[in-house]
Amino acid sequence: MSDQEKIVVQIDPDIIELIPGFLDNRKNDVTRIRDLLAAKDFAQIKLLGHSMKGAGGGYGFDEITSIGAVIESAADAEDSGGISDGADRLEKYLSQIEVVAEQ
Amino acid sequence: MAFSDVVDVMEGRVLVVDDDVDMLNLLSNWLSGAGFEAHTASAGAEALSSISQDRPDIVVTDLFMEGMDGLELVSEIHRANPLMPVIMLSGQANIPDAVRATHLGTAAFLTKPVAKDAFLTEVQRHIHPSAGTSTDGSFGKNLVFQSSEMAELTEQAMLVAQGDITVFIHGETGTGKEVLARAIHDASPRSGHPFIGVNCGAIPEQLLESELFGHEKGAFTGANTKHEGLFLAADGGTLFLDEIGDMPLGLQVKLLRVLQDFEVRPVGSVRSVPINVRIVSATHNNLEQLVEAGEFREDLYYRLNVVPLTMPRLAQRPEDIPLLAEHFLTELAERAKAKKKRFAPEAISYLAAAQWPGNIRQLRNVVELCLTLTKGDIIPLSMVKTALRDKPAQMKTPKDAKADFEKNYLESVLKITNGNVANAAKIAGRNRTEFYKLLNAYELDAASFRAPKDDN
Repeated sequence: MSDQEKIVVQIDPDIIELIPGFLDNRKNDVTRIRDLLAAKDFAQIKLLGHSMKGAGGGYGFDEITSIGAVIESAADAEDSGGISDGADRLEKYLSQIEVVAEQ
Repeated sequence: MAFSDVVDVMEGRVLVVDDDVDMLNLLSNWLSGAGFEAHTASAGAEALSSISQDRPDIVVTDLFMEGMDGLELVSEIHRANPLMPVIMLSGQANIPDAVRATHLGTAAFLTKPVAKDAFLTEVQRHIHPSAGTSTDGSFGKNLVFQSSEMAELTEQAMLVAQGDITVFIHGETGTGKEVLARAIHDASPRSGHPFIGVNCGAIPEQLLESELFGHEKGAFTGANTKHEGLFLAADGGTLFLDEIGDMPLGLQVKLLRVLQDFEVRPVGSVRSVPINVRIVSATHNNLEQLVEAGEFREDLYYRLNVVPLTMPRLAQRPEDIPLLAEHFLTELAERAKAKKKRFAPEAISYLAAAQWPGNIRQLRNVVELCLTLTKGDIIPLSMVKTALRDKPAQMKTPKDAKADFEKNYLESVLKITNGNVANAAKIAGRNRTEFYKLLNAYELDAASFRAPKDDN
């Protein structure tokens, strides 16, 4: 799968208007995680990962829940490499997804 | 199939507490879409303030929050509103936290990410406990409960409803004996035929005889027309003989004969008429004592007491009081074609802890009085206190009354808290040591108030 390949995600039409805001917040998370990693603030990174893990699946993005869990565990272990990989994985996923309303 | 496809649009106020704005947005959207009124708070302190202002019916809170976490919030909420249902959401499937949350009185513990249908089902289940645990609609639509006592009773009643067995209901005045009798009739093969009730203690002997068995024209002075009587009027259906313990001895003999022969002979008639009636009888008296005292025929007692059912006192089922109050609020609002009012959470707690010597009938009267006297949409605690003070309690010596009250009160709080001594002590405003002393004094075992574990 190339970086440009789209990932179609079917979303409950009742929450479709919430999706742009939710995804914007995740894009901000990528930046914040990298900034916090530079500052070695693992506690805040863990909280971000935890929130991502809790909310992702509810919105229909199971992959975000999965990435959140990875970032949370990596932050807990103060594993900078793991956190960085998680942020990269989130950034790539966000660039690939195409949201469509569930029929 | 989605939640909204199978469940009617629900009403009620839900407060969602989470420090993650995306979770607040998502859960509020789901709740509003299902018909609930959603309020949000992003921290524990804000949640406590919202509870005072918005008066939610249920709180949904995240476990891990900065500042006051979910467990502290549950404790704070229950300090002022011990019966407020709280659902805990957690990103971790952490068993010790779930256990602590349960001990603190959390109604449900859900793991994030949570599915929409599972979330809404839990909210609906705990905001309107009747939806899952009281009558399922097929048996006794007016039997409102979630208590194990009533669940057990209705299970027995449903079983006997199917047959044609004679049923005897014992229970204090106002406990709903006639409601149960009617439910049995409605669930029986006789439901297409009449259900006729008669209060045997309210009618003079001569009149009761004629009322029950009928009379011929001219049978006695004033009998200007033929009267068929209630046994014949209930033909094919059910005859409910309420307060059977008050039936005069002379009539008891005649009733026994009818039950033995399944035929009645109207007053003044020489001919007996076959009857096809199921008998359900009830009394608040202790019939065994009346038999011993010679005031009730032993042979009739055994003829009637084939399947005995006992209606619990309202104070024995305090967990049903919020449901019943809600039921009466709805019923009375519909009757008056008025907007439905609500009890303030602390008012509901007070109702649940009251003694109710007049049982459900008294509760209904109190609800009606509160509705009549409350101008706003929410019935405050002060109004409930006023309404309850107006009802005279049964007179006992102060010492006995105090002992009865304390024992009933302890049973009530143990029931409400499912046998959790820490929570019960908190509601009672005692420390645990003092509370245990009280339990010992009244020989109460907290463990016996714990519901059996549900493996499903």
